[in-house]
Amino acid sequence: MAIDPRTDASLSDDALELFVEGADWESVVDAVEDDTITINMGPQHPSTHGVLRLVLDLDGETVTKLTPIVGYLHTGIEKNAEVRTWVQGTTFFTRMDYLAPLFNETAFCLGVEKLLGIEVPERAQAVRVILMEFNRIASHLVWLATGGMELGSTTMMVFGFREREHVLDLFESQSGLRMNHAYIRPGGLAQDVTEDFVERCEALLELLPRKIAEYEDLLKRNPIWNDRLRGIGPLDAETATRYGVTGPLLRAAGVPFDLRKAQPYSGYEQYEFDIPTEAAADSYARFLLRIEEMRQSMRIIRQALDSLPGGPVMVADKHIAWPSQQSLGVDGIGNDPEYIRHIMGESMEALINHFKLTTQGFTVPAGQVYVPVESPRGELGYAITSTGTNKPYRVHVREPSFVNLQAADVMSRGQMVADVVVVVASLDPVMGGVDR
Amino acid sequence: MTELSTPTRTHGLTRPALPREAIAARITDRFPEVEATEAYDELTLHVDPAQLVAVLTFCRDDEELDTALLSDLSGVHWPAGDHVIERQASTTGWPEYRVSREQGVIEVLYILRSLTRNHWFRVSVATPDEAPRLPSVTGVFATANYHEREVYDFFGVEFEGHPDLTRILMPDDWIGHPHRKDYPLGGVDIPYKNDKFIPPPEERDLREVID
Repeated sequence: MAIDPRTDASLSDDALELFVEGADWESVVDAVEDDTITINMGPQHPSTHGVLRLVLDLDGETVTKLTPIVGYLHTGIEKNAEVRTWVQGTTFFTRMDYLAPLFNETAFCLGVEKLLGIEVPERAQAVRVILMEFNRIASHLVWLATGGMELGSTTMMVFGFREREHVLDLFESQSGLRMNHAYIRPGGLAQDVTEDFVERCEALLELLPRKIAEYEDLLKRNPIWNDRLRGIGPLDAETATRYGVTGPLLRAAGVPFDLRKAQPYSGYEQYEFDIPTEAAADSYARFLLRIEEMRQSMRIIRQALDSLPGGPVMVADKHIAWPSQQSLGVDGIGNDPEYIRHIMGESMEALINHFKLTTQGFTVPAGQVYVPVESPRGELGYAITSTGTNKPYRVHVREPSFVNLQAADVMSRGQMVADVVVVVASLDPVMGGVDR
Repeated sequence: MTELSTPTRTHGLTRPALPREAIAARITDRFPEVEATEAYDELTLHVDPAQLVAVLTFCRDDEELDTALLSDLSGVHWPAGDHVIERQASTTGWPEYRVSREQGVIEVLYILRSLTRNHWFRVSVATPDEAPRLPSVTGVFATANYHEREVYDFFGVEFEGHPDLTRILMPDDWIGHPHRKDYPLGGVDIPYKNDKFIPPPEERDLREVID
């Protein structure tokens, strides 16, 4: 029974005796059989890479279990695509993995093109490759920047985002948008590249190697960076395969698997490049690997620029090709005035064709295809089902971030709480892709 | 996580890919009930749900097939009724094929990939959409965990033997499985529309309103 010493008259001043030494503490400790505590990290935490919630079971400071809880950014893009035309699909899928928009666009378009049985013009393929590889560099730069920030290197954060902005400037000059471009369309590209495209790419190819060497100098021999990354988040090849982990994590475990080599698409077979691998399979190996991947990307861009073919960037088939011609005016990219004059003033048939393709869209033969590409995070696959109509019946996206995140548990077990940040950073999940 | 039965092998791409016919023959020799189809240069094996775990375990452990990686697992809902679908041969033009189904099914597709031989193929199983139920393959491929939770979330397929079959992308208290074709797309009652009084949050029962 609780006694309130302030009101209880039976307690005189001499009777009240207080014990402050905590004599029962030992018995309290003994009564606790399992001293594992469960704490929550996120979903809004500066070091969880977006809206990711982690539930950590801790024994002291050691992680015994990590449960990622996802879905906070679910937008139902796959479902939405079922009620849009095939061309509108690109506009949706580009928003999934927002750090690799061009990979999403390309993978979806490759799937649609496979169902249609069409081959994209060579120029469009080369431009896709150039832009995708620049996108890979931009994505790895963001990884380096956010990863650096999460480990306390704000300098790296500023550097990474600064150089990424140069890459995004290139995308903006071509598509009008920094991200979520919807520039790659089924059948080719939304429009041809601008006249200064090659010049802009050359400038980037001159700038980026210097900057990447700078990051290497900054981080490679940095004792804090080494201490925080070496031996942290180990994931050997066998465990990685069990958990379906692909991309830089699998290659950092020594498996030279890269879809650009294994199943070349968009003309990757023409270019000479290496698949870098690392043996250490820890976070530091993933850092080295991503740096090397950026260099290999530049090698590919160099070759693609040197052999950039001329010609159209959209298939000739007027049943599929987007009818509108775009041109760059004083107020941005829009419909070409010459084309508008043609459909509005000269040809009724052209207007009908334009109207039908832009509203109803084209139909795609029935069937199921699975088309994977090598995104900066691993195998990005589009499983597309068509029933022969102008809309996809079902599009499922095999998102590498979503799959790789499962391995966060095995990678963090036995590590310290602070290392969870490193593990998640080295996984590089993009929550827009995980939750879709 | 459930314990995996036997360890998988991983190497580089050291051996040439098996031709699609050889893959199909290898599996149909062992499992004669499996039906193999090809379209768009992709091989699909139609497997009975009862044999699913056995087929996937065989594909993973077989020296020739060596599909150590389960790349993808996804669902497609085919409700009963008339449908436009063609799945046998590849098509070249724009024809539509109408297929009538007596019973609606949920088709679950597994993409199996080999990291040593550079080949991949698809395994397809179908389960009735009224009470979709399939054996879980988390014991064969640990990566199936999230994928199966996703398919459960979107299609309501109960994966027997899954260690933690809960919703993954939709909120925990969500009603219905949104990727099913019978899931309403708009036109549903909106709670408290035009109501003069909206109860405070703790007194709301959304389940009652939606039902």
